[in-house]
Amino acid sequence: MAELLSITVNAIFMAGLYAAMSFGLALIYGVMKIINLAHAGVIMLGAFFSFTLFQYAHIDPFVSIIVAFPVFSALGMALHRYVVSRLPESGNTPAVQSLLLLFGVWLMLQNLGYYVWGSDTQSVLTTYTLKSVKLGPITVGIPILLMFLVGVVTFIILNQVMTKTYLGKAIRAVTQNRQAALLVGINARKIAMIAFGIGTGLAGVSGSMMSALYAFTPDFGRNFLLKAFCIIVLGGMESLSGVAVGALVVALAEAYVARYLVSNVFQDAITFALLVVALVVMPQGLPGLSAQLGRYFRTKEVARS
Amino acid sequence: MTRYFNTVVVALSLVVLFGGPAFLGRGVLNDIWNVAFAVVLASIWNILGGLAGQVSFGYSAFLGIGAYATVLLSHQGWNAYATIPVGVVLAALFSVLIGLPTFRLRGPYFTIATIGISEAVRVFAQGMTFTGGSSGKRMPGSYGAFLYKLLPGVSRGLAVFLENYYAMLLLAVLVIVVVWVIQNTRFGLALSAIKQDIDAAEALGINATAYKVWAHALSAALMAVAGSLYVVAFQYVAPNSVFAFSMSLQIVLMPVIGGVGTLIGPIIGGVVFGYLQIKLLSIPALQSSNLFIYGLLLVLVMLFEPGGILGLVKRALRPLSRGRAREEVRNVA
Repeated sequence: MAELLSITVNAIFMAGLYAAMSFGLALIYGVMKIINLAHAGVIMLGAFFSFTLFQYAHIDPFVSIIVAFPVFSALGMALHRYVVSRLPESGNTPAVQSLLLLFGVWLMLQNLGYYVWGSDTQSVLTTYTLKSVKLGPITVGIPILLMFLVGVVTFIILNQVMTKTYLGKAIRAVTQNRQAALLVGINARKIAMIAFGIGTGLAGVSGSMMSALYAFTPDFGRNFLLKAFCIIVLGGMESLSGVAVGALVVALAEAYVARYLVSNVFQDAITFALLVVALVVMPQGLPGLSAQLGRYFRTKEVARS
Repeated sequence: MTRYFNTVVVALSLVVLFGGPAFLGRGVLNDIWNVAFAVVLASIWNILGGLAGQVSFGYSAFLGIGAYATVLLSHQGWNAYATIPVGVVLAALFSVLIGLPTFRLRGPYFTIATIGISEAVRVFAQGMTFTGGSSGKRMPGSYGAFLYKLLPGVSRGLAVFLENYYAMLLLAVLVIVVVWVIQNTRFGLALSAIKQDIDAAEALGINATAYKVWAHALSAALMAVAGSLYVVAFQYVAPNSVFAFSMSLQIVLMPVIGGVGTLIGPIIGGVVFGYLQIKLLSIPALQSSNLFIYGLLLVLVMLFEPGGILGLVKRALRPLSRGRAREEVRNVA
C-alpha cells in the first residue's frame, strides 16, 4: 500500500515535467497545425545549454531556465521567420511537408550538438541531484519536486496569458479558426511566429531542467518528443488543461505498468504503444472520449424515459 | 527517340552491373552493392510513401524482421537464402497487424504512429534475449554459397560475395519492375487517387484501407528480402543497426531527396544518397556532419523543391520548352 502510494505520488510529480515539455508542442500545433519535430532537438539543446552554464559559471539548472526561455524563444522565432513560415499554407490539416521539414531541422540541431559537445554522455551533478525529501511515508527526489513546481508555475502563467492578455486571446482565436481570426484583424502570421517562439522557449526550459535529472547526449530528446506527442494526443491536441491531464495519464500508466506488469527495460515501449492506441482509439483525446461517453449515457437515459 | 535513348541507357547499365564482376574490382563492386541496396530501400518505401502518399517511418521494422529471420534460422542450419520466404511472410503479417489500426489515421498522425511503432519495436528487440540484446547476433560460419560448388576456380569468400551481389541486383530490378507494374495498373491508379484525395477516392468506391494494407504488405515483404540480403552481406545484425531510428530515417530520406511518387525519383535518390554516404564516410572531416547534411537536404528539398532532384531537373528543363513555345508564339504573331 505504501509502495503504491509512493509510486502514485512520484508519478504525479513526474507529470509536472511531462506537462512542461508538452505545452509548447500543443501550442504550436494549435496555432499552426504542424507537429514540431524539432521540439526534441530544442529539448536536447536546452539540456546542453544549462550544462554549459553549469560548467563554466556554476549556474544551477533551475536558475538557468530563466535565461533559457528568452534565448530559445528567440531561436524559435528566428526558425519560424526564416524557415517554417516559408512553407506553403497547409490549411486546417497538417501537411507531411512541414513534418519532414522540421525533421530536417531536428537533424541539423542534433548534429550541431555532436559538433559542439561531442557524443559523450553528459550530466549535471548539483548538490541536490541525488537528495530527496520525505513527505510522510513517501520519498521524492528534489529535482523531480522542483520540476513539478516549474510545471505548475508554467501552467498557471500560460493559463493567465491565454485568458487575460490580447496575445493569448489572439493565439486562441487563431487556434480555433484561422480564417475568422484573419477577418477580425488578427495578424495570424505574427501570432504564429510568437506562438512558435513561446513553444520553442518552453521546450528549451524543459530540456534545461531535465539536465538536472537525466544523463544526456546529442541524441537526447527523442523519447520525450514521442511522450509529449502522446500527451497532447491524449489531451485533445490543443488545450492546456488537456495537456496536464494527458501528462498525468502517461506518467501514471508508465509508473504502474513498469512496476506491476513488465520489466523496466520496456518502459519506453509502453509510451509508444500508448501513443498508437491513443491515436487509433481516441483521435479526439480524452476530452473527445468523455464527450462521447456523455452523449452515450444521455441517449441511454432518453431511451429509458 | 527518347524511348530509344532510355532503352539504351537501361540496357547498358544492366550489362555493366551484371557483367561487372568480370572486369571491376572488389571495392567498386562493394560500392555498387551499397548503391543498389539504397535504391532498393528507396524504391520499396516509394510504393506506400510515394505512390499512396502515406509517409511511414516504420520500415526499419520490416528490414529487421527479414534480417533476424535469416540470422536465427541460419543458426538452425538453414541455407541463408532459403530463409528469405520466412522473413517475407513474417514481415507481411506484421505489416497487416500494424497497418489495420494505423491506417485509420491520416497524414502526419499516421506518420507519428509509425515513429512510435518503430521505436517500440526497437526497444522490444533490445530487451529480448533472442535478438542478442544490444550486442546483436552474428551469422553462423557456414551459409549459402551455391556458386562455390558451381565455379570451382572461385574462392569461397568471393563466391559468397558474388551470390549476394547478384541477389541484390536482382532484387533491385525486381523492385523497380514491381513499382513500374503498380504504376501502370488499376492498383497504382487507386493508390494515386488515395494520395490526391482519400475522401473522393472512397466516394468513388475505392476501398482505401484495403489498398493501403496491400501496398504496405507488399512493401514490407520486399523490405524483408532486403533485410535478409543485408545480413548475409554484413554477417552481423543488432537492434541498433537494423531497427535504429537512423535506418528508418534514411529509408525516408532517399526517395524524398530523389523525388517521391515517381519511378525514377527514388532511384536517383538512392544512387545519390548511397554514393554520397560512401564518399562522406571516407572523408574524416565530414564523417561527423552527415546528420547535418541529411537535415539540410531535407530542409532545402521541402522548402524549395518538394519534387526532389527529379523535380529540380524538370524545372531546369522547363524554361527551354517554354522559351521555344514563346518564340513560336512570336513567330506566329
